[in-house]
This record gives sequence, structure tokens and C-alpha cells, in this order.
Amino acid sequence: MMEIRRLCLKSMLLVSLLIGMAGPVFAGKIQQQLVKESALEVVLKRGALRVGMSTFVPWAMRDKTGKLIGFEIDVATRLANDLGVKVEFVPTKWDGIIPALLSGKFDVIIGGMGIRPDRNLKVNFSIPYDYTGMSLVAHKVLAADFRSLKDFNRPDVFIAARLGSTAVAAAKKFMPRAQLRMFDDESQAYQELLNGRVHAVVGSAPMPRFQAIKYPEKLFLPLKTDFTREPIGFAIRKGDFDTLNTLNNWIRVVEAEGWLRERKVYWFETKDWEDMLR
Amino acid sequence: MRKRKTKITFLDITLLILLLAAAIYVLHRIKVGLQYNWDWVSIPQYLIRYDEGSERWVTNILMQGLFTTIRLSFWSTVLATFIGTVIGLCRLSKGLFSRLIGRTYVELIRNLPPLVLIFIFYFFLTDQIMTSIGVDEFVKSRSENVQAFLTFFFASPPLFSAFLSALITLALFEGAYIAEIVRSGIQSIERGQWEASHALGLSWWQQMRYVVLPQATQRILPPLGGQFISTIKDSAIVSIISIQELTFQGMELMSATYLTFEVWITVTALYFILTMALSLSVERLEIYMRRSEG
Repeated sequence: MMEIRRLCLKSMLLVSLLIGMAGPVFAGKIQQQLVKESALEVVLKRGALRVGMSTFVPWAMRDKTGKLIGFEIDVATRLANDLGVKVEFVPTKWDGIIPALLSGKFDVIIGGMGIRPDRNLKVNFSIPYDYTGMSLVAHKVLAADFRSLKDFNRPDVFIAARLGSTAVAAAKKFMPRAQLRMFDDESQAYQELLNGRVHAVVGSAPMPRFQAIKYPEKLFLPLKTDFTREPIGFAIRKGDFDTLNTLNNWIRVVEAEGWLRERKVYWFETKDWEDMLR
Repeated sequence: MRKRKTKITFLDITLLILLLAAAIYVLHRIKVGLQYNWDWVSIPQYLIRYDEGSERWVTNILMQGLFTTIRLSFWSTVLATFIGTVIGLCRLSKGLFSRLIGRTYVELIRNLPPLVLIFIFYFFLTDQIMTSIGVDEFVKSRSENVQAFLTFFFASPPLFSAFLSALITLALFEGAYIAEIVRSGIQSIERGQWEASHALGLSWWQQMRYVVLPQATQRILPPLGGQFISTIKDSAIVSIISIQELTFQGMELMSATYLTFEVWITVTALYFILTMALSLSVERLEIYMRRSEG
């Protein structure tokens, strides 16, 4: 009995000694491994950057010919060009876009994703390359004399928003007493508003403004400005600091060039691109 | 085939008029009650458009979605029929192990909602498997001709592995139902047929191949046709895992153009044309088989 015990102890000692010796060797290996497995390295090896996105006017949408256009599309295309690879877009449903990133369907989400702490628990964000705000468009009859967020914060008011978007969080925060109805796509939310079944739609600027311009006889903008300001960043998988560093610095460069600002003005403040759509 | 005389009675006419009135009323309500600016003119260009660069007519996103749906349904039907036949035979086998496999598979798949199944298969099973066997690398390393071939029959290289996962998921799902159809078809063949063929000295496989299966095929054709049509309809579910089939493309188009109703109606019509065509051809096949039997 004693004999066996001693043998066990000896072998355990030997094993722990071996592990202790292997430690420093592993550290170096792990670093190499990390570099090799970073999304950036995979992208360069593949020769293509796979970008997860979702249709969201005017961030990303299809034009008449079925080609993708929009602010995010410009950003992703330029990013891929600067990395010296091709760009491949993977259109994905918005509510499943984070699981799709985590399971490796694409390398990065470039889809106007707002940086939020709860999202940050699952993915890593780059520094913001853009800021967006939530704005609100209301029905002219139903919300006739509504002038402020306080007017909407009532239990008999219905608000529509896109499922899984930061609009939902904003609506819950600023109008906690109103009843929230969520839709898979923004177009369904706006249809609900036009049909007069909800009082207002909360959405990322500038879409609410565009809708108010499109249906002036039915809709109006009760608030003159956006009521939130949200940073927008690229989302990548956790633990990949090489890629994160590259993305951050790329954003700094194109921001300094003024290129981001110029693209933003084109897609958000002009409507020159409208003819490409229909 | 005896021709039936068609006689229109007073009741038929009244019913027809009532139905027509109801339809007109509904349309009228939609027109009045729904605050909607119809824009049908924009729709045809999403089906097919004239490409100025190459000076040709090319398909646009909705048609491409339809083709993806056809490809997806076709291959998953083929695979599901194979799986279904094998599992159906397993369930009838004398061996306990095969019966256990068959029963487990059928009950597991049939008693889960397809939506849940598709998520589980997509994110946990096929995704891990596809990556580990390196489907993407395999497709990308093929020659251009092979890639063009794969694109025509399956999906373009970037979307290939997603398409494959959807195909396998859909086939596994439909396979369970086909297995039950096959099993019930074979079981419906009278004992006498088995006994007679056994008396003729045929082996189990020969009994199956020459006596039972030909008769069973004819019996299971109507439910099998129904299942094939179901496959086309069920393929819409894979839009949730972002396969670019008809429903997904339709929804993408809606969020880009806000032409909600026009696009839904067009998508509905395209599905209907597809399933109706299949329905009619299955009917033809049934008539043909009945005739050839004499």
C-alpha cells in the first residue's frame, strides 16, 4: 500500500515538474499561435475580407442591379482595398448577426453596429468610426399634439422599432411607459406607423427624417433633433488584438484624411443616391 | 377514365357570387384602409433587368433568390429521399440496432420545431463540421471550371458552405417524414405478397426489390409528392440563417426599397408557380404509373 502511494507521489511530482519546465516554452508558442490565428492573418491568407452586414438604409442596401451600396459598403470596400484583399459581403439577419460572427461566418461586422456594453460582453469593438443618433417620426393624427418625449411616455402610446437594434434600448430608456412593438425589419415598423397602428417609430437617423419627407401628409417629426448619440464601431471576435489594433488605426487614418466625413455627408445628408435604388 | 358531367346548379352560382363579393370587399378595404402607395412599376426590374455593360438581359435578386430556392429544394429532396428510404428500411429491419437508429432519428426530428432544429444544426453541428473538413478551402482551391460548375448547381464559392449546411439541415428534417412515408408504404403491402415471393425462393432483398417496392412506390407517390412540395415551402425557413433564397432576398429588398406588399405578393406568386408546377407533374406521374400498370 505504502509502495503504491509513494509511486503516485513521485509520478505527480515528475508531472508537475515537467509542466513547470514547459511553461516558458508554451508562452512563446502561444504568442505565435495567436498571431497565426488572428482574423487578420486568416484574411490575408484567404485574400478576402468577409464582412457581415444587414440591409439598413442608407447604411447598406441593394441598388436596382442587385449590387450592394451604402455608407458601410464604402467603408468595408475601402478597408479591404487598404488591406490589399478582396471584399466579400455576407448579408445576415440583424438579430442573428452576433452569433454568426462568433461562429465564424465572417471576420468582422461592418453594419452600423452601436457600441453598447451588453454587446461588448460578447464581441470586441473598434474605436468609433461614426456616430449616429436615434430619432423619432410620428403619425400626424394619432400623435397630433405630441411635442416632446414626455408626451410619448404614456401607457396608451405604441412605439415601433426594429428587433435587436439600439432603437429598442433607446425607446425603453426614454419612454419606459409606452408600449413597444418590435419588428424584424424597419420597413415593417414604418408600415405599421403608416397604417396608424402605432404612434411613432424610433430608428437610427436619418431614416425617420427620410420617411417624414416621403409621406408629408401622414408623418411628422415631433423632435427637432436626435435624442441619443451613439458611437458606431466594427465588431470582431474576442481575444483578437492584432485585428483590433489594425482596425483602430485604419479608422484613425481615414478619419484624418477626411474621407469618412465626406462619405457620411454623401449618404446621410444628400439624397443623390436615391436614383440608384429604384 | 370516365368523363364526369359538369352541371352548374343555382347554389353554385350563388356561392360564386358571394365569394366574388367578399373578395371585392376585402380588396376595397385594403385600398381604403391601408395607407399605402402602391408602386408596381418598380417590381419587374428586380426580377430581370437589362445590363448595359454586357448588353444582355440578366436576372436580378428576386430571380436569383428563386433559383437558389430551386437548387436548395432539389438537392435536399434528393438527399432526403435517400435518407428517408434508408431510415424507412431501418425501421422495418429485423435487427434491434437498426430499428433503434431509425426510431430515434424519426422521433427526434419529428418532435422538434423546424426553426429550432435549423438553428441548432446551423450553429452547432454543420458549422463545426464544415470548418473542420475544410469545405471552403476545398471549393476555393478548385479550378475555374469546377467553380463555375459548382456555382451553377449549388452556390457561389463564398456562400458554398452556408448553402451546404442549409441543404443538409433541410434534408435531415424532410428525411424523417419521408422515412415514415416509406415505412408505411412498405408495411401496407399485404403479407400474402411477401409469402408468395418467399415461396418462389426469392431472397429478402429480391422480395423487396422485385415485389414489394414496386407496389409500395405507387402507393407512396401521392404523400411523397406532398412532401416534396413541403420541402420547397420549408426552404423558406432557412432565410433565418441568411441563406440567400427567395424569402431572404425578398426581405432584403423590402428593407432597402420599402415596397413591402408588392415584394411579398411577388414572392408569393413565385412560390406558387413553383409548387403548382411540381404538384401538376406529380399528378401526371401518378396517372402514368396507374396506366402502365394496366
